[in-house]
Amino acid sequence: MQLFIEIYGFLSVVLRGFILAAQSVSVGGLAFLLLLVWPLADALGPSGAVLERRALRLVFLSACGLVAAEALAAASLTLMLAGTLDIPVREAAEARAVAVDLMAALLGAVVALSAWRGRRGGVAIRSAAPVLAALLIGVQAGATHAVSQFEGALALAGAELLHMGGAAVWIGGIPYFLMALTDVADPRARAEIASRFSVMAAGAVAALLAGGLLMAAYYVGAPEALYGASYGVMLSAKIVLFLGLLFLGGLNFLAVRKLRNEPAGPLLRTRRFAETEIGVGLTVIFCAASLASLPPARDLPNDRASFAEIVDRLEPRLPVRLDSPDFEALSAALPAEATKDLPPGTQPRRAADIAWSEYNHHWAGLFVVAMGVMALLERMSRRLAPIMRHWPLVFIGLAGFLFLRADESVWPLGRLGLIESLRDPEIAQHRLLTLLIVAFGLFEWRVRLGRVTKWWAPYVFPISTATAAAFLLTHSHALTNLKEETLIEITHTPLALVGVAAGWSRWLELRLDGEAKKIAGFVWPVAFILAGLMLVFYREA
Amino acid sequence: MGLFRLVSLVACLALTGGGAEAHAIVLNSTPRPDAIVSGRELAIEIRFNSRIDAGRSHIKLFGREGAAVSLPLDESASEDMLKARATGLAPGSYRLHWQTLSPDGHISQGDIPFRVDR
Ligand SMILES: [Cu+2]
Repeated sequence: MQLFIEIYGFLSVVLRGFILAAQSVSVGGLAFLLLLVWPLADALGPSGAVLERRALRLVFLSACGLVAAEALAAASLTLMLAGTLDIPVREAAEARAVAVDLMAALLGAVVALSAWRGRRGGVAIRSAAPVLAALLIGVQAGATHAVSQFEGALALAGAELLHMGGAAVWIGGIPYFLMALTDVADPRARAEIASRFSVMAAGAVAALLAGGLLMAAYYVGAPEALYGASYGVMLSAKIVLFLGLLFLGGLNFLAVRKLRNEPAGPLLRTRRFAETEIGVGLTVIFCAASLASLPPARDLPNDRASFAEIVDRLEPRLPVRLDSPDFEALSAALPAEATKDLPPGTQPRRAADIAWSEYNHHWAGLFVVAMGVMALLERMSRRLAPIMRHWPLVFIGLAGFLFLRADESVWPLGRLGLIESLRDPEIAQHRLLTLLIVAFGLFEWRVRLGRVTKWWAPYVFPISTATAAAFLLTHSHALTNLKEETLIEITHTPLALVGVAAGWSRWLELRLDGEAKKIAGFVWPVAFILAGLMLVFYREA
Repeated sequence: MGLFRLVSLVACLALTGGGAEAHAIVLNSTPRPDAIVSGRELAIEIRFNSRIDAGRSHIKLFGREGAAVSLPLDESASEDMLKARATGLAPGSYRLHWQTLSPDGHISQGDIPFRVDR
């Protein structure tokens, strides 16, 4: 049951992220239709009708996704409550959050239905769209921190509405903007759409920012909490990602301005930046879902890490640990009887355990630095490139290292035999993962050598890097010591941010051309080197 | 967090360990964690940082033998509090386990260990 609750905790965050994303795309589509496609119908001509149908299709699909996710959320919460509290299913289903989920599912169904009918020529959606969009955002605000507050609940709910509405119109609107760039053939109409979308996005960013600032002021309270508490660290990560989005949006804004002067100009950059904005936007949305599951920093004034403690933890210190402590010194070497009374996860960590973990991180970091340096040299030196392009093979070295080192209780270090150890589900998972890293490295290697020619193959690397980084942001630790947890988070969050940058800059390198492609091609190896260095200087105490 | 947790996340199998925690946290409680109390009866109060749904919460008392008793919750508690009463306590170590639901749908849980002395 305990495990079930923990898995549920993680799943509910992922599900909430999915709900926020689906809702944003639905609302973003309705706003795009309302503010752009319908008012500009005359200027767009026949391509306007094509665009409208494609947009309605995406609204339909995202609304269906919303219905499915909300239904799943309602069902899993009900089952969870009934199972853990031993109460009848009906009583569990009467929880407020279940009602909110079901209402949102119902609204999603109405949106999906009207979009479907709109595609077949129905015009009802034209008048219903503003109401539906407002209701979709409104009902979602019923399932946030705001409703559980005693003071200021109304102001907070208002801020939440501005924040979610802004995110939906801006980030949720980008896929439709991409559609418009493809579907609208007339350069003049395209330029008009682009400049109108710029204005719309700017307004949405202003609303998002206003709502966000109000919530931050209330939930974080003191500036020190922005780095000293988990909530603040996660919020800071969100702000950094937001700045990244603004940067991409700014590049797009410049491209759009150019488009107005020469309407027939190239669209490639605008499109590629917009794609990247969608990816980073989704990461921010998952980050938001994760933030909603953390206690506001304001409520934990006594468990904060101080600035000095954080500097002490993050400051690179030499020499790094390249010598491992002896196995005999580790807790894992203790006879089983010594720890059998303690529940798993609560065994005390000894100094040797921390040294062991740091040693492992430091060596893994060296592998990552090696990959980054090789990828960089591949781009910088024509003479070295033929050797350096084999950098994905370093993944196999990393996997080998993990195979030998990750589970200290298993052969060759511990007492457990190799086959015997696979009975432990955690160890078995680790072994499976090692295999996955090997497969990933070999795949990327073959892609780089041109032995895999499927069109999607090169995208496996950026997408999995970006997804993994997003997951690293989504998760939170389940330790009991909140301050220690914050200190661990502060070492991992920058790693995740660098991962997001690496994934999406590699994406841009693949998708752009000319000078921009070159720049993107330098960004991700540098991000890899940074991530590696963070691991090399990683400390747990 | 072990290196492998990290790599497993990087390999995007975030399910391998540790769940997300939820945000209802205990501001104060009677008994306080690791408190030593006397007497056969104990009034329990747990106050949270936000509203909670007492109808979908529970407090369980784990005794020395590990057997758990669900304690009936006091209906009169305010919206951010769980209240209950433990009776027939013998000297020894106990653990209170609470689980609660926030109005926004997050489940939180935790433990309060205490000792009964006489
Ligand atoms: Cu919550």
